[in-house]
Amino acid sequence: MAQTLPIWLAGGLLLVGAGFVTTLLPRWRARDRARRTAWSTARAEIDGAAVSRDAAATRVPEAERLLNRAELIAAGRGGPAAAREAAEHARRADRLWRGQA
Amino acid sequence: MSVRRRRRALEALRWASLGVAVVVLVVFLQAQRQSVDVSYGRSPSSSSAGGTTGSAGESSAASVPSVEEMTALVAADPVVRLPGSIARWNEQRVREVIGSTDVRILVAPPGLDEDERKRLRDVENATVLVVGTEVSGGFYRAVADDLPSWRAQFAVGDVTGPLLTLITALQDRPAPPDLDELTTREPTARELAVVAADLRASGLHCAAGATLTDVPAKTAKEAFPDGAWFAAFPAQRDGTPLPRYGPALAKLFPDQPIVVLHGLWIEYHGPGREDFAELVEASFYGQFADLLSRSDYPQRNALGVYLNRVTDVRYAGLFDRPLPYRPADPLRVALPALPWVFAACVAAFLALSVRSLRRAGGGLRGRIAGGPHRGGVPARLAGLTALAVEMSLLTDVRSDPALTRGIVRLQAAREALGEELPDRHVHTLLAKAANELDDAARTLGIPGYRPDIYLQGRLT
Repeated sequence: MAQTLPIWLAGGLLLVGAGFVTTLLPRWRARDRARRTAWSTARAEIDGAAVSRDAAATRVPEAERLLNRAELIAAGRGGPAAAREAAEHARRADRLWRGQA
Repeated sequence: MSVRRRRRALEALRWASLGVAVVVLVVFLQAQRQSVDVSYGRSPSSSSAGGTTGSAGESSAASVPSVEEMTALVAADPVVRLPGSIARWNEQRVREVIGSTDVRILVAPPGLDEDERKRLRDVENATVLVVGTEVSGGFYRAVADDLPSWRAQFAVGDVTGPLLTLITALQDRPAPPDLDELTTREPTARELAVVAADLRASGLHCAAGATLTDVPAKTAKEAFPDGAWFAAFPAQRDGTPLPRYGPALAKLFPDQPIVVLHGLWIEYHGPGREDFAELVEASFYGQFADLLSRSDYPQRNALGVYLNRVTDVRYAGLFDRPLPYRPADPLRVALPALPWVFAACVAAFLALSVRSLRRAGGGLRGRIAGGPHRGGVPARLAGLTALAVEMSLLTDVRSDPALTRGIVRLQAAREALGEELPDRHVHTLLAKAANELDDAARTLGIPGYRPDIYLQGRLT
């Protein structure tokens, strides 16, 4: 019985390890994907706002301030919450510039 | 369809292998608790320790005089035998050991109660006290410890050995060697004939003076399933040689188990004697010699306990008995295979887990291969991009910002698709791009460039 002990131990460890990996790996993936999605949205909003700024007839300090802040947040590379905040700022700036155009 | 069914079957197999692995592991752990229990069956002997001895059947007719009387008797004579006493010894050897020292011996009958024994102990001038065949004195008590000594003690009441041991111990001298004090003789032909006739007739011979009246039938049946004969003789107390009926009877009836009793000495003759007789005698007298020596039990009681001991030894498997049948334990048979079953299950679970993880990762290839039910995201992206290129030829200042914003969104959507982000996200980006392009088309005033219409024309 003693010579089979390594099988039980290794098998048990592998099972537990596989349990952790199969549980955590999809979760990590989902989290990473959610972060990248949020940043993708944020970048699209910022780029869109930049186009609106270039097309605007007059300068709008308030919108520039908002876009600046959004770019700052984006440069900091935070999590999904930061990305959503940046996207919100960019969207508001975009709206202000479009109102001017 | 078959792909999906196969995938579902593999998933079921994955969890099944995990379940089997856990079950096997639990079974293995449970098996570790199993104790090894090899038994030859339970001995049916009624409690071997008590049997019929104890307080039952003990006669206590004997009595002793008062302490003062006994003290006076001991003062007058170095050896005092109270009425009913049974112990005897080799006078010459004891005298030699005593020599010129003052050793006074008080001999009392067996079967005294606690109060009477206390009176005996209060006789202070007695050096050695012999109650029944129990020898004590000072702080000591001398007991026989081998079969010849026990035989002499219980068959004829001889206590020479313990007496010599005790006297020399009291005087701090080395004990003399043990000698077998029992003198025996062959029984005469006439004596043997009487016993043999009785045994042939009823299987039981009780000589005059023997206290055996009948044999406990059930106990005897358990001890000797093939039936045994019993010959009981009284203890030989007159100092004449002891007739050894046992060997003589065994010669006469070679295949018949015979139990011979001389007083409280019980011996077995017959088939299998060398296998267990000594063992039973040693264990029986080793445990009960003390009790038997100072009490006055009838032979029947001692025989009952002896027979129980024989039964116990028989069931201990010490003489020729086949092992009881043991059905093969399926767990024991399967146990060596369990680790490998477990290992196989673990391997299967791991392989299938890796497979399912890789599939869950998906990939661009899988999404394109996924076809229309994926929402046609790449096709929509391509269509909108083509529209944007066409529109860029015709834009003016008013429609420029909307078109640029649309293109920016399309770029973001393309990147998202490249990064394998969720379809829904790409879809949202495409919808925003389509909105901007729609804006631009309306500003341009070309309804054909509105995305819905344009794409419909493209895709159908």
